[in-house]
Amino acid sequence: MSKDDNTELSRQTSSSRDWLIGVAGWFFPGAGHLIQGNWWRALLMGGTVWIAFVAGIMMGGRLFRYSGTEEGMSSLLQIPPMIANLGAGLLYPASWLIGVGFTDDPQLAARATFEYGTTFLLIAGLLNYLCMLDAFDISAGRKP
Amino acid sequence: MMAVFALLAAVVFGAVAKDTNKERVLYGLKIFGEFIIIGLALAWLLYFIPF
Repeated sequence: MSKDDNTELSRQTSSSRDWLIGVAGWFFPGAGHLIQGNWWRALLMGGTVWIAFVAGIMMGGRLFRYSGTEEGMSSLLQIPPMIANLGAGLLYPASWLIGVGFTDDPQLAARATFEYGTTFLLIAGLLNYLCMLDAFDISAGRKP
Repeated sequence: MMAVFALLAAVVFGAVAKDTNKERVLYGLKIFGEFIIIGLALAWLLYFIPF
């Protein structure tokens, strides 16, 4: 094995610190880049996720969860959007704890911004998955 | 709302892609424009569908 191969291998092997940064980035949007001292990136990417999530909640959006109480296959249909929502990390259980976003309130559902809010909540989680992977890759040396 | 959605997505897409800041900004602008154009095109298309 040549020196170049060894360098390449060490670059591809991720340490526990990289995983910790990835998990931190998922749990608290922006934290993955913040730990690495990448303030601008943390502010830009983490801020985007926070803005999308808070805007989604303010628009009356709904967070998905698997309850198992729906009839037939309806319960299973809750799982993919729930995975998207879970991407927001801490914000998902925090919303559950304070009782925001999980209520099946017909008045909220009747709002003109309800669908937009739900979509914003979904993209907040999905964008945070991207941020988490970005923070992990930078920490592992796979990205500049 | 659609423009805000496009902006948020474009910021993150632009930030995670490419190597230099200039390339990232240009890519983000490209993504933003594509979201807006495709969104408007789909809106007009759906406008003419009667159901």
